[in-house]
Amino acid sequence: MSSEAADGVAHYQLIAPARPESVDLVHEVIAQLWTHEPAPSMLDRIRFETAVIEILGNIVEHAALVDPPDAHPRQFDLVVTCEADAIEARFGDDGKPVEIDLEQVAMPGEDAEDGRGLAMASAAVDELSYQRIGPVNHWRLVCRRQT
Amino acid sequence: MTEFHVHQTDRGIGVIAPEGRLNMVSAKQLTEAVAGLIDAGAPRIVVDLSGTEFMDSSGLGALIAGLKSTRQAGGDLRLAQPTEQVRTVLSLTNLDRVLRARDTVEGAFDVV
Repeated sequence: MSSEAADGVAHYQLIAPARPESVDLVHEVIAQLWTHEPAPSMLDRIRFETAVIEILGNIVEHAALVDPPDAHPRQFDLVVTCEADAIEARFGDDGKPVEIDLEQVAMPGEDAEDGRGLAMASAAVDELSYQRIGPVNHWRLVCRRQT
Repeated sequence: MTEFHVHQTDRGIGVIAPEGRLNMVSAKQLTEAVAGLIDAGAPRIVVDLSGTEFMDSSGLGALIAGLKSTRQAGGDLRLAQPTEQVRTVLSLTNLDRVLRARDTVEGAFDVV
């Protein structure tokens, strides 16, 4: 994990295997982000962290779909930035392309046991976008800070 | 590391208290804890979320699965004392009516 903090902008980067166990590392990075003043409101922190963890879950799930269990784990990189007016996360990973139209993502029925991740992420933050550029999936999440 | 504290009350109600994060790593343990209580004859279960600092969609899926399996066994699954993040997830997913949060573990089965 690397970090910078200058001019009121806090910035952390993490590179880790696309495995479920990496979720704890992502929580740690986000916790570091909140140590910089002025920290976002509790609601903004919850919205951001909830969405970031859902996107990580999607990345891990897609990595597992294409790789056998004993394969060298795929990596993802995460950059999180906290500024005065917004909190942003950018993921990059070399997993399988994600075939999804984020504008069509909807919450499944009440008794569904899965399929809520992207809908939750989309509902939690103000901007969620996905792009496939070359061999890399790029996710960007923005949570505008509410005063 | 998430710990799951499981016990039964004097009234035969099962209580599961996940301490830490209920997520893609630990959700399976919740499902196993629910199955264990149903097998032990306690299909009425309260999930005490007062120590659950974070829940993701996998954790939520395990709660829905638990709700279905307890009802199939003639019981029910109820939530008590969720933290703010858990409340936010329930609200974002419109599941706060299906999984209505109760104020206390002890009183979770006092009202329908």
